This record gives sequence, C-alpha cells and structure tokens, in this order.
Amino acid sequence: MPKSPMTSLDRRRFLAVSAGAALGASALSACAASVDGSGGSGGGSGSKTTLTVMSHDNELDKKTIQAAEEALGFEIRFIASDDTKLNAMLAAKNPPDLVRGLGATDTPYFAARGLMENLDPYFAKSSALKASDLDPVNDVWRYDGHKQGAGPRYGMAKDYSQDQMLWYRTDLLDAAKLDHPSATEPLSYDELLDLGERLVKRRLGKVRVYGLNATGLGNFSQLMGMTASAGGSLFAEDLASVDFSSPEALKALKWLLEYTKADIGPNVVNPNPDGWDWPTYQANRMAIACDGYWFGGAIGGDPKVAKVSRFAPAPQLGSNRISPCFSATGYWIPKSAKNKDAAWKFFEWYFGGQPAKDRASSGWGIPTLKSLHAQMPQNTALQKQAFEVQQQELDYFKVLTFSPYIQLAALDATLSQVLPKAVRSGTSAGKVADNLNSLMNNQMAKGKQVLG
Amino acid sequence: MSSTGQLTAPASVPAPRAVPARGAGGPGGRFGSLRQRRTLSFYVFTGPWMLGFLTLTAFPLGYALWLSFTNSDGLSPNPRFVGLANYREVLTDQTTLDSLARTGLFTALTVPLTIAAGLVLAVMVNQPLRGRGIFRTLLYLPAVMPPVGAGLTFKLIFDRDSGSANGLLDLFGVNGVSWLTDPYARWVLIVLTMWAAGNIMIISLAGLQDIPKEILEAAKVDGASPWQSFTRVTLPLLSPVLFFQVVTGIIGALQSFAPLFISLDASPQGMASVPQDNFLFMIHVLTQYFANGRYGYASALLWVLFAIIMLLTALVFRLSKGVVFYSVEPQAAGKRPRTLGGK
Repeated sequence: MPKSPMTSLDRRRFLAVSAGAALGASALSACAASVDGSGGSGGGSGSKTTLTVMSHDNELDKKTIQAAEEALGFEIRFIASDDTKLNAMLAAKNPPDLVRGLGATDTPYFAARGLMENLDPYFAKSSALKASDLDPVNDVWRYDGHKQGAGPRYGMAKDYSQDQMLWYRTDLLDAAKLDHPSATEPLSYDELLDLGERLVKRRLGKVRVYGLNATGLGNFSQLMGMTASAGGSLFAEDLASVDFSSPEALKALKWLLEYTKADIGPNVVNPNPDGWDWPTYQANRMAIACDGYWFGGAIGGDPKVAKVSRFAPAPQLGSNRISPCFSATGYWIPKSAKNKDAAWKFFEWYFGGQPAKDRASSGWGIPTLKSLHAQMPQNTALQKQAFEVQQQELDYFKVLTFSPYIQLAALDATLSQVLPKAVRSGTSAGKVADNLNSLMNNQMAKGKQVLG
Repeated sequence: MSSTGQLTAPASVPAPRAVPARGAGGPGGRFGSLRQRRTLSFYVFTGPWMLGFLTLTAFPLGYALWLSFTNSDGLSPNPRFVGLANYREVLTDQTTLDSLARTGLFTALTVPLTIAAGLVLAVMVNQPLRGRGIFRTLLYLPAVMPPVGAGLTFKLIFDRDSGSANGLLDLFGVNGVSWLTDPYARWVLIVLTMWAAGNIMIISLAGLQDIPKEILEAAKVDGASPWQSFTRVTLPLLSPVLFFQVVTGIIGALQSFAPLFISLDASPQGMASVPQDNFLFMIHVLTQYFANGRYGYASALLWVLFAIIMLLTALVFRLSKGVVFYSVEPQAAGKRPRTLGGK
C-alpha cells in the first residue's frame, strides 16, 4: 500500500528537515545583517545609508548619534562594544562599519590579521583630515608589519593622554609635610614609591588613604613604559617574545613587586573596588593617581578637588625620558565593512568637525589634530597648570610597539596569575621574570603559529 | 469507568480502535487517520523545540567540536587543523589540571553543604510555626536575587578597606581581613554559593510535603523518636528529591563561573584578577577564550568538561542504586501504567 504524504513524515525525515531548517536559519542569520548592510549602503534606490558603529555609549551617546545623523544624513545603528560580538562579526565577514579600539595595543593584532582597512587613500583625498595636521599620537594606529609608528594608517585616535603622568592632591601632601613634585622635572620611580609610602594612611590592617596608584592602566602597560624609560624594551625586536630578564625589564619588575608588597595603593593583589581612580581620588582617599591629562576633565568638574590638585610629568625609571600613550582610543574601519565611504565621512565629521572641537575644549583628553591644541581649556588655575605641564610633556611622547601575536588582555592575565603568588611567597624578581618569560613566550609562539 | 481509569487502562485491555473524528475525515480524509493526525500533532508541538535544540545546542556543540581540532583564535583567517593536539595539551597543562582539581574540591564542598543547608531550612519551615509563610519568603528571597546583584553586594560587604565585614571587625579593634583575595576568597565564594540555598529549600519542602502523614504517624505509634523518624522514614522517602539535587548540583558546580561575580571586573582583563583559589575550570575556559584568544584550546576544554559531566552523572546514577527509593520503580513505571485509584 503506498504511503500517504502524512505517514511519510517519519522520524528520520523530520529530523533531517529540522536539521536542514536549523542550518538554514543559522546561515540566514549570518546573512541577515549583511543584507541589511548592503541595503543600507544606499545605492540608488533612495534608501538611507545605515552606518553600524560599535562603541561605548558614554562616548557615542544619543546626542552625538543624533547630531551625526543630522550632519551626515545617515542612519546610525549603535552596537555596544563587545569583544566577543566583534570577533563573531569579523569571523562572519559582517563587521560593524566603524569599531572603537585602542590604537596603542589593538593595531598590530588586527592589522596583522588583515582585518583593518588601510586609510591612507582616504587621508590623501580628505580636505577635513590632513596627514600634516595629525598629532604624532595617531602613529600608534600605523603598522608596517614589523613595528608600530610606520606604514599604513589603520585608524585615528579621538583624543589621548600620556598615561604615566600623575595628578596629586596638594592637601594630602601638605598634611604629610612633603614637597610637591616638580612641574617640569620628572620624579624617579624610587622617589614616587617613597612618596606613596609616606602618604598612605592605614588603620587596623586596612588602607584608609592610598598613597599612590601606579597601575591604573594595567600592569603590562606599566611595565612596558617603565622598561622603555630605563632604555630597554619588553618585546624582542621581532615582537614574537618578551624578555623580563633584561636589566631594564628586571628593574621595572622589581619596582612593581615592591609596590605591590608595600600595599600603598591598588595593585594586582588588592585592586581598587571603585574600579577606577576618580571616585577614590575625589573622596580624598588617594594622594597620587598615575593618570594622564584626561583625568583633569573629571577633576575640573569638582571645584573643591580642582583647587587642591596639580599635574606632574611622568616618572622615569632611567635616563631615557619618555612619556608614552597606552591607549589612543579611536576608531578603525574593518576591511570587510559594507559602508567604508560612509564610515570615512563619519571619520571626517567626528575627528575633524564640531565633535572634535567640543572634545578639545572639554579637557578630557589631548586633541588628536595639532590645529586643535590651542582649544584645550585654560580658564581655571588648574587648567592652566595642566596645559603648561602637558605642552612640555609632548616632547617626550614615544610610540611603543606592541606585538601582533598576542592581545594585551592575555599578558595582563598572565601577570595577574603570577604576581600575587610571587608577592606572597617572596619569590625573587629573577625567578618571576623566568616564569613570565616562559608563560608569555609560550602563548606568543602559539599566536605566531596561528598567524602563520 | 472513571475518567482516571480511562487514562490508565491496563495493558491487557485492548486499545480502542481509532474512531475518526466528526468532520476530520477518515483514513483518506484531509488530515489523514487518527494515527497520522497524532503523528502530525506530535511533530508540530515538538518542532519548535527541535529547531531550537538543533540551532542553539547541536549546531554550537558541533561547531565547538570542530574548533577544538584547530588552532583558531577566532580572528585569524586561516586556522589550522591540529588534530588531537589541544586534547593532549589539556592533559599536560598544569593550569588546567589545577583548575580542574579546584573545581572538584569546590563541587565536593558546596554540593553537600548547599543540599544540607536547604534541607535543614526546609525542615524548619515545614514546622507548624506562626508566621511560617514569612520565614519561607524571607529564606527564599536570596534565591530570587540575580547572581550578579548578589555578587556585587558581596563585594561591597567584603571589601577590605571599605566593606561592612571589616567595619564590624573594626568596632572590636580587630585587624581587617582581605576577604576577596587568597586565601579567604574561596570561603566568600562558598558562602555566596550557599546564599542561594533557598532554591534547594523550596524543592526539599515540596518533597517533605509530599510524604504521607500516615507513614510518619505510624512510625510515631511504633515508638520511633523524631530523629529515627527523620532518618529512617523522611530521608528515604525524600531521596529521589535529594538525588535530583545532587545531580543538578554537581553539574551546576562543575560549570560554575560564580567567582567572576565577586571579582573586580568581569571583562577579559578582569578574569585575570580572579584569585587563584577561585580560579575554577570555567574561569580558565573563559580566560582561554576571551583573554588569550585560544578558541581551539578553549573548545577542547569545554568538550573535556562535557565528558567529565557525563561520566560523573553516570557514576552518580550507578551509585544511587540502593540508596534512592522511588515509591514506584522507574523501570516498572515505564512498562506498566501507574494507576491512580483504578486496578
């Protein structure tokens, strides 16, 4: 007897159909956004371009999005920054049109994987953003396959700071009868540690007032900057390994271990529960905060704190005075983005238009166009002092090359695993260096293998 | 025959012939025979779940399995097939072995403790007390609280410099303790895990209330003390409920990433700041995925965890024989319909 169409829906067929539908649904979900993207690219059907931007909502807020939509005639689809989502979107070749990133550490990693669009042709054609007007910090967004600071431009910073500079509270230093750090001559790291030890206030095993926070930007970046100021480099020349055993790196590592052991400020063993320096500093619970110029934006919002705050140059571990930037937060355009031209228009507006001017005068970072430096705020005594110190410090800016074989998070993760044990057990800096070399180089070798 | 009887007709009674529903058509009708319609409705109702299972479980599982044989970092365009290298590394990676051992210890501690605490609470709120409902609600409330919120609260309480736990010690002139770092962080994690014992309490309470009072009264009449009655009557009758909690508890503990809730920051960088004592297997997996970008290796770790969970679950089921008492044998229940009043 022939089977009716209904009885032919047996279990196997049903499962096969379901599996097919599931795969189809997965494939469709991958296509859906690209269809949206291509449809959004405008073409000639008169539909509005939809520009997808992955960023932080406190940096690209609704007001800025609205202003961009009005100025550019685009529709902007905002996606909150999420590394996992970005990885998935890049892997599916359906990335956002613009991605927020940290030029100082992201550029080699993404550029080496061929994921970033070379923006040189765009800069060459642009009248709003001229290469000659770009602040040197934008060089962290360049990578030539061997080092940062040279080769094609893959992105641009929105603003920046020289992150090892420091802010201090005069009221806490005066109460401890300590001299204020010089506004022109950098402290040595030993002097800084000594100041922190004198400024810390404790009660029954608890730290009431931190003397100093030296690790606000993460331990690896801190060590990288310190090693460079001692005349060395953490990364080998081919960027495929680290060396903590060199005299300069070992000196930096020893300092960090001493700082952690001294427990005078947030560290890898006892991190700051506030998550960042401002609430603690504002509450009169931190005497010295190693943060760049941007921190002045927060201080400027509180007149009482502004009155007792001063800015000072980045401390140095050796004689090679440098003052690097560890983030240079900005945007890049993925190579497989669907709306690159539209993304560039956003670039020109955001980095060279009104938003750039507004950021420059806000005091929350140094403008990334030289022509905007004059707009940095100088209305209050603190702003004037910070501006002067900052202008002198610009001479010592240096691009520190990061490795394309590993991400900063992985290096910080290794330090966070190794340092607490080392501090508790009193392991010597030499042994800690060997351990770090072994763990990090093993990871970097794997990264190199993947990159091929 | 009662309606119940109809539903539970003994196997010996021949099944009634399918009667075509009025208007639905007979064997050659629009919707086929009753059997065909039943088949169709089965697939219509299970279809959405099946689709969800295939897209959200089977496909990701298969994809992760494929990833586990590659050196993928999730971004590089050409991941290489590495065979079983990732699985071999699992066996030699000291961090993996340490985190696995730590997770085993965490499971061995928290599962019995949480179940015991939930059971004690259930027994307490099962007593005929005044305001029993309020106690039940209050004890269950922490279980309703989202784990992230609970974690945040714990972080505030146990912060070394500004937390209320050390504030209390301060009142007595005792030195503050660094609760959220080694070696104390593990105890905070255990307390955080037990914080949600209200979940266990509710299930155990339902089990307690399902125990027929006649049996407990009979035990009392036979001279059993309250302790004897609890250990020889209540616990055996509650054993299927406790067994369920053991199985789900073990699976939950092995997959726990609760340490992230009390770490400074749950970002990839934050995972690194999880104290070593709380660096459980899932934290290691997350670190490998999102801090180290080792998608291939992390996927292999997840498959190893999957295999461990399957093995442990099978072992627990095997060990449960003779310890867990069902009012109806599970196997028998499958073969012979359970009657509810009918013979």
